[in-house]
Amino acid sequence: MSAALDPDASYRGAGDGAPLPAHASPTYYDRPLLKKPHWEWEVIAYLFMGGVMGGSGILVALADETGDDEALARSARYLSFVLASTCPIVLIKHLGRPERFLHMLRIVKFKSVMSMGVWGLIAFSLPATAAAAAQLVRDGVLPEELDFVHALGPRALTNPLQLVLGAFIAGYTGVLLSATANPLWATGKRHIPAISVCSGVAGACAANNAMLALFGGNETTARKLDRLESVAGIAELALLLSFRTHAGAIGLPMFAGRRGAKLRSATMFGGILVPSLLNLVPFHARWKTLLASALTLAGGYVLRESMIEAGKESADDPRVSSRQPE
Amino acid sequence: MANGFFTDTTLCIGCKACEVACKQWNQLPADGYEFTGDSYDNTSALSATTWRHVAFVEQNAPPDAPPTLNKWLMMSDVCKHCTYAGCLEACPTGAIVRNEFDDVYIQPDVCNGCGYCVPSCPFGVVDLITHADYTETRHFVSDGRTHDDATQKTGGVAGKCTLCYDRQKVGAVPACAKACPTESIQFGDVAELKKRAKLRVEQLSERGTDSYLYGVDSDSSVGDLNAFFLLTAPPEAYNLPARPVLPSTHQPAGYTSAAFAAGALALVGYALFRAR
Repeated sequence: MSAALDPDASYRGAGDGAPLPAHASPTYYDRPLLKKPHWEWEVIAYLFMGGVMGGSGILVALADETGDDEALARSARYLSFVLASTCPIVLIKHLGRPERFLHMLRIVKFKSVMSMGVWGLIAFSLPATAAAAAQLVRDGVLPEELDFVHALGPRALTNPLQLVLGAFIAGYTGVLLSATANPLWATGKRHIPAISVCSGVAGACAANNAMLALFGGNETTARKLDRLESVAGIAELALLLSFRTHAGAIGLPMFAGRRGAKLRSATMFGGILVPSLLNLVPFHARWKTLLASALTLAGGYVLRESMIEAGKESADDPRVSSRQPE
Repeated sequence: MANGFFTDTTLCIGCKACEVACKQWNQLPADGYEFTGDSYDNTSALSATTWRHVAFVEQNAPPDAPPTLNKWLMMSDVCKHCTYAGCLEACPTGAIVRNEFDDVYIQPDVCNGCGYCVPSCPFGVVDLITHADYTETRHFVSDGRTHDDATQKTGGVAGKCTLCYDRQKVGAVPACAKACPTESIQFGDVAELKKRAKLRVEQLSERGTDSYLYGVDSDSSVGDLNAFFLLTAPPEAYNLPARPVLPSTHQPAGYTSAAFAAGALALVGYALFRAR
């Protein structure tokens, strides 16, 4: 084989941050080499809600650890349950044949991140439902005769389950995107899963802080949530910047142009820096907590939207998709 | 034994009989009348309902060279039926299987249209059949009776080349290979096809034509392709990836990244919440 025909001769390691070589190999009339995902708002909404749900699962365990954060444990349990009930609805709606959603349960497939996610979601919803039911009895919403639900879901069992499965739910969505041939997502295999976890935890802190601000909780807990939200947010910001450097030209659909501007303003600045600064200010008011929470959550949604939409654009560029990230 | 295709692009004359035969046999809807202006290719790409696609590449010689050096490359593209298939690994319902002929087959009555196989194919082959592709109830005749086609009358599921699973079942050659007038598309036992293909590369080399096999003795994570090609230009010229990568190879890094972030944040959270 001559050098000119060597399939690897024009290959340069993608994802090393370098711009694509200018000698650019030929394309086929610039037509897309890959197919793009058909995922729309349902999947974006699920990635967002799954993050908040998983993060809330982690918060349930953290809140119970100290014992004096009962209001947080309550709100995180309810939020986990409500989201665990809502997520399957949007997931089923996005299917091409929704009436066949049960086909997901034909098999358990470790190689398929989506299969793992489906089973993870089901596994999470069991302790989430048991814990929420027990909480309803404790809160006097359900009659005390239903006290046996405590036995079904003792906190010693549901808390660690919600912690581990919640962390899995918050993270697997990032692995799901990365484990594809999509150049942008695959290049981000070390970044996107961690970014998803951080955004999920920050979102859960924001959502639960808003619940405490609305329905009452103690001040100490709110400050702890502020701090955890800021730590997760700043980590997410650092990972996003690192991802942008690492991805180089492959990252342009996400970080350049209008979409990049939206990501910078709504997620990096408005969804992380501004709420972190608000949390730092030693002045506390309900409106301030609600504002910071709303900004963090909006930033989390825009992050997911950016990843999905930029992934579609990335798949359309044959120059990028010919050299697939190892 | 694995059955597959050897597509020898030096024999392709661009007649598109494979495209037509595939559409006919598999009862796939037409692609419309779009004019692309891209040489003689108005099909553009493989799709959920286009399982053979003939690419046309017009390569002009430099201005000072004789015009006899102009090249017109034609190549009939198809699902590669990878040894390690990204779509098959990604499928959460088990709808995508490897059949007894070692080919990758989507069971249309099992697929629920989650769409995860679509970005998981390193070759951009599989796509979702939209409901608009099938607007009429379709029928087939069997045993003298007309039946509704239970699997194809509505869309919403993934579609790609089946390597004519139904024809192979009865010992027939897949429709495209059967219709190919120049034997550019050859069907058979993959090991046998590979031997034939390597001889063909040597033969072409003796005649002064540089060529290589795409998808044979591959060092890619997708492994060898059960539908492989003899090419005379870099893969990108035909819209094939220079370096296809099996998507599941990204999973260890991905899960590690998620576990590290979750572990770190849980520890930070633990420290924060324990503090009085």
